[in-house]
Amino acid sequence: MVTGQFVRKLGAAATAMLALMPAFASAQEIGKGHPEPGQFHLQQSVTPIMDSIVAFHDGPLMWTITLIVLFVLALLIVIVLRFNAKANPVPARFTHNTLIEVVWTVLPIVVLIIIAIPSFGVLSDQLTTPDGERKYLGANIFSFGEVEVPAASVTVKASGEQWYWNYEYVDEGVAFDSNILGSAVDSYHQTIKPNQPRLLAVDNELIVPVDTTVRMQVTSSPSGVIHAFAVPSFGIKIDAVPGRLNETWFNSRETGLFYGQCSELCGKDHAFMPIAVRVVTAEEYQAFITAFKESRDYASAVAVLPAIQ
Amino acid sequence: MSAAIEKNHDYHMVEPSPWPFVMSAAVLVMMIGAVFFMKQWTPWLFFIGLAAVIYSFYAWWADVVKEANDGVSHTPVVQMHHRYGMMLFIASEVMFFVAWFWAYFDGFFRFDDVEQYARVAFTGGHWPPAGIELFDPFHLPLFNTLILLTSGTTVTWAHHALLENDRQGLRWGLALTVMLGVLFSYVQYLEYTHAGFSFSGNLYGATFFMATGFHGFHVIIGTIFLAVCLIRAERGDFTPQRHLGFEFAAWYWHFVDVVWLFLFASIYVWGSWGVATH
Amino acid sequence: MSEAAHLEAHATGHDHAAHDHHTPTGWRRWVLSTNHKDIGIMYLVFSIVAGIVGGLLSGFMRMELQEPGIQIFHGLASMVYGISDPSGSIDAGKQMFNVFTTAHALIMVFFMVMPATMGGFANYFAPLMVGAPDTAFPRINNIAFWLLPVAFILLLMSLFFEGAPGSTGFGGGWTVYPPLSTAGHPGPAMDFAILSLHVAGVSSILGAINLITTILNMRAPGMTIHKMPLFAWSVLVTGFLLLLALPVLAGAITMLLTDRNFGTTFFAPEGGGDPVLFQHLFWFFGHPEVYIMILPGFGIVSHIVSTFSRKPIFGYMAMAYAMVAIGFVGFVVWAHHMYTTGLSLDVQRYFVAATMVIAVPTGVKIFSWIATMWGGSITFRLPMLWAIGFIFLFTVGGVTGVVLANAGADRALHDTYYVVAHFHYVLSLGAVFSIFAGWYYWYPKMFGYMYNEFLGKLHFWTMFVGVNLIFFPQHFLGLAGMPRRYIDYPDAFTLWNRVSSIGYYVTFVAMLIFFYATWEASRKKRPAGDNPWGDGATTLEWTLSSPPPFHQFSTLPKIDSTNAH
Ligand code: HEA
Ligand code: HEA
Ligand code: CUA
Ligand SMILES: [Cu+2]
Repeated sequence: MVTGQFVRKLGAAATAMLALMPAFASAQEIGKGHPEPGQFHLQQSVTPIMDSIVAFHDGPLMWTITLIVLFVLALLIVIVLRFNAKANPVPARFTHNTLIEVVWTVLPIVVLIIIAIPSFGVLSDQLTTPDGERKYLGANIFSFGEVEVPAASVTVKASGEQWYWNYEYVDEGVAFDSNILGSAVDSYHQTIKPNQPRLLAVDNELIVPVDTTVRMQVTSSPSGVIHAFAVPSFGIKIDAVPGRLNETWFNSRETGLFYGQCSELCGKDHAFMPIAVRVVTAEEYQAFITAFKESRDYASAVAVLPAIQ
Repeated sequence: MSAAIEKNHDYHMVEPSPWPFVMSAAVLVMMIGAVFFMKQWTPWLFFIGLAAVIYSFYAWWADVVKEANDGVSHTPVVQMHHRYGMMLFIASEVMFFVAWFWAYFDGFFRFDDVEQYARVAFTGGHWPPAGIELFDPFHLPLFNTLILLTSGTTVTWAHHALLENDRQGLRWGLALTVMLGVLFSYVQYLEYTHAGFSFSGNLYGATFFMATGFHGFHVIIGTIFLAVCLIRAERGDFTPQRHLGFEFAAWYWHFVDVVWLFLFASIYVWGSWGVATH
Repeated sequence: MSEAAHLEAHATGHDHAAHDHHTPTGWRRWVLSTNHKDIGIMYLVFSIVAGIVGGLLSGFMRMELQEPGIQIFHGLASMVYGISDPSGSIDAGKQMFNVFTTAHALIMVFFMVMPATMGGFANYFAPLMVGAPDTAFPRINNIAFWLLPVAFILLLMSLFFEGAPGSTGFGGGWTVYPPLSTAGHPGPAMDFAILSLHVAGVSSILGAINLITTILNMRAPGMTIHKMPLFAWSVLVTGFLLLLALPVLAGAITMLLTDRNFGTTFFAPEGGGDPVLFQHLFWFFGHPEVYIMILPGFGIVSHIVSTFSRKPIFGYMAMAYAMVAIGFVGFVVWAHHMYTTGLSLDVQRYFVAATMVIAVPTGVKIFSWIATMWGGSITFRLPMLWAIGFIFLFTVGGVTGVVLANAGADRALHDTYYVVAHFHYVLSLGAVFSIFAGWYYWYPKMFGYMYNEFLGKLHFWTMFVGVNLIFFPQHFLGLAGMPRRYIDYPDAFTLWNRVSSIGYYVTFVAMLIFFYATWEASRKKRPAGDNPWGDGATTLEWTLSSPPPFHQFSTLPKIDSTNAH
């Protein structure tokens, strides 16, 4: 019985390996704002910040680490082939070679410096809220900044609660809660909105305008626990710490729905407090926020927007 | 030491001992008891465990003292082991205090960190936090500093007396040091009862009481250590050449002393710079 | 070592085994032990038991994650806690998953890896390698061991007490961040876990003091510190890391304890406290801790690589001081675990730079192992396979660490499965491979028997395939954004999770082979001889009988001017 199960598992393993192939082939066609089945890549970027993360990761980082691993592997293979006891019955006795030791100390330093240069640029961009003057790297991580980003004009305060998010439009003084759809596991399936993925769909999405710099203030209620606000396709992730106001920003160039998930262990429903940001046109946003300020009722305000397909 | 094993080296081949196992079992009881105690189920398990731990310490160290006095176990190299061991132990104690100072300085340096709105609301944007009345460092704390510094000299006096085989001086020096240690603890207790802030509910009280409290705990340990040395001195232990137990008590005492100087300088004096105190 | 010392050590060794009538016997030999080899064996047995528990816990996690949705934990919860209503059992199951993750990590870290390396191998072999008859403080050695079962019992008890209101066990992760570990888990479960860590910490500190003193003060005549074998070096450096890092953890968790039970507000914002302070204190310990888990492995691998290449270690001094450098720098990089907590730009820049520096001494080690093998006459015996596997897989795990070190990239990867993949490559494929390498390398020495080489190789290859299958796909999950510590995930993450779970089953089979191989070796009793590995094995333990006499080196070996390592 156990063996039967084992054989079936082996079969499944083989199938899974084969399934790798289409996943590789479809790599470039990943959707926006959410992960795709079998994806093995960072999520599609829609902000200058995520552009730079993708460029940095896929460029300098992937190249260097892949080459280093392959280099070490190649050396090991050579050793196995050339220096096994049959091929080389008499071992050499050398134990020093100053030149090579200097090389393998200095070369990694050089590699690390090459990584560090774009790394610092990418990092500085992330932590500097735009003032309208500063230029950003975007995907050109080896440039000194070419992408223009306007100063922040919308401020949203996200507060992690157990276990949902509360969003406040700080300048407008209106706020609403955003909960996952469904509660017990089966009902996540039954209650999801059409075309919205299970465990990512929420009742009330955060609505922000496109091509606008949004300042995100992130915190958690003083008697609560730590959560983290993350939206992969925006390239943002910041902890929601009780009693502390953290800040980050994004500027999406595309409209649509962008999902994230709570990214700091916060208790039993940590996996069930997703983040959904709906990016709409400036006009739609205006209509929404006006309606929201008037009615103070999210459901009726969001009705002014076109339905999501 | 079983004499049948001929050995041609100076290391001490320690015989099997029940105390490590007994003490571990006692620790288990004490720890389970500690949870029961903290959850207000029953304090007794904890105290039973504690008593067992203390007893195993006593029994274990009684064995060590016996070995120290048997004239063969503690060869010079073994004494050197003990020096290393004690130094390393004190190093780990230093790192323990690093944690408490870290917590204190986190509040002290960052009391008005704008991102931490809850903290700023709590402190009112100043240090010490709003509503907290500090000790006058040049009152009881200064007195305690002087007590500890004096005790540092008395223990050194005892050491010199021991080296010169002046047993009377040794006893006096130790007795005085123990007395000063007790006095320090008593003054610290007095100070605590006059505190203008409480242990719970505020960061200042937490860092202050836990840092000075753990120091006080170490003072008590050090005092007991010195008292044991006093008893051993009365019994006639220690020679001018061999008195590691005494030396370690003195090292430990100096360590406790230095921690106090840091506490005094940073928490009492620096922490109350330009602040009204009582 | 000189021929004379070699013979002498031999002679006294055998002599002793024959004439020693005072070896304690029965339970007293073990329970009251003051013998470093016996204590070492107890540590290893303990480690294997903990490894089984920790490995089974991860099995439940992988079974759960094999499919989206909640498959097994609600059932498990209703079975264990007797909950009958379905939504109650789902809630209990969600908590239980976190409890399992937490316990899995704590057990693997504190009760499997550390007892195997710093407990078992260091205890057994560091004294032998430096030519000492035992450790410096044999009774302390014994209590350092016995405190571990105590800590383990406390941790296991924690699983059965209330944690978060209305649920059982502590499910806040091995990092025990407040406020989840304070206000979030008011029940006694967390207090048990805290006290368990206290006891395990005391055990490690005592063990460290004992081993450091042994290595610094008990080296045989002529064995200067620069002739000391690299494993002894690794234990020395690790000892200092333990000694200096663990007390800070002890302080931090004491603060948790008083915040929970006595109303202090170290980490409670209402009282002026700061949850992030805990993270600083934790990682000031936590980062050195990861090197505590790997440095002894570096030492083990150095010996194996040299033995089976029949060639002395390349660049001995650089190898030793690289470990010292890793140890030093390891103390000043802690906040790379905290890039998303709101640290300022300058602070993050500093930690990026400091963290990347560690790749340099680590690279020195990798390349020196390769240079040791280069030109060698290598036999690919079982320990060598594990060692080569270690070198390769540790490199994979190390370079993803360098990716994470870049705060800019870590923004996308922090708290995702990419991190889980990184640290399992350095732990479950790094540290664990080095433990198995050491196990098979020293098995004949410790027990006097030879295992079946074929079974061992089967174990190696099955495990190699299995663990790679578990953890390589987790990089993909992390890149695609799957957060860690999730019992359920969006359906898009199904494929790689399934592959990962299948990898677990393969690993499980590998573990069965391991146990069978160990059992087989103990049944067949094939005498191993004093030195089964030939003239490549030059350190002192190979000059003794297998197993060595109860008290070795009654006459200290003398090391002459030729290299001992
Ligand atoms: C054995 C344990 C171990 C080891 C050795 C390491 C080694 C390293 N780790 Fe890892 N790490 C962990 C265990 C370990 N780690 C754990 C458990 C966590 C998660 C904790 C938690 O959150 O639960 C973690 C998390 C972690 C993070 C935080 C991620 C996050 O939470 O967002 C970071 C970030 O900097 C990091 C970095 C590194 C680096 C740079 C190294 C370096 O030391 C690696 C150096 C090695 C190499 C680089 C390979 C060999 C070198 C060469 C071949 C030379 C050439 C190389 C270059 C030029 C690059 N680790
Ligand atoms: C040494 C550390 C170690 C080891 C070996 C492992 C081994 C494994 N781990 Fe674990 N893991 C952690 C440390 C470790 N892990 C940590 C620190 C976390 C983070 C927890 C947190 O988020 O708080 C984690 C989290 C973690 C997760 C993420 C959970 C989550 O985020 O929700 C997962 C999921 O797949 C996982 C799976 C596994 C699996 C399948 C193995 C398999 O490899 C298991 C197979 C079993 C073995 C390889 C053990 C064999 C060893 C022995 C039997 C002893 C032998 C001894 C001698 C010979 C002396 N682990
Ligand atoms: Cu909220 Cu995790
Ligand atoms: Cu780290």
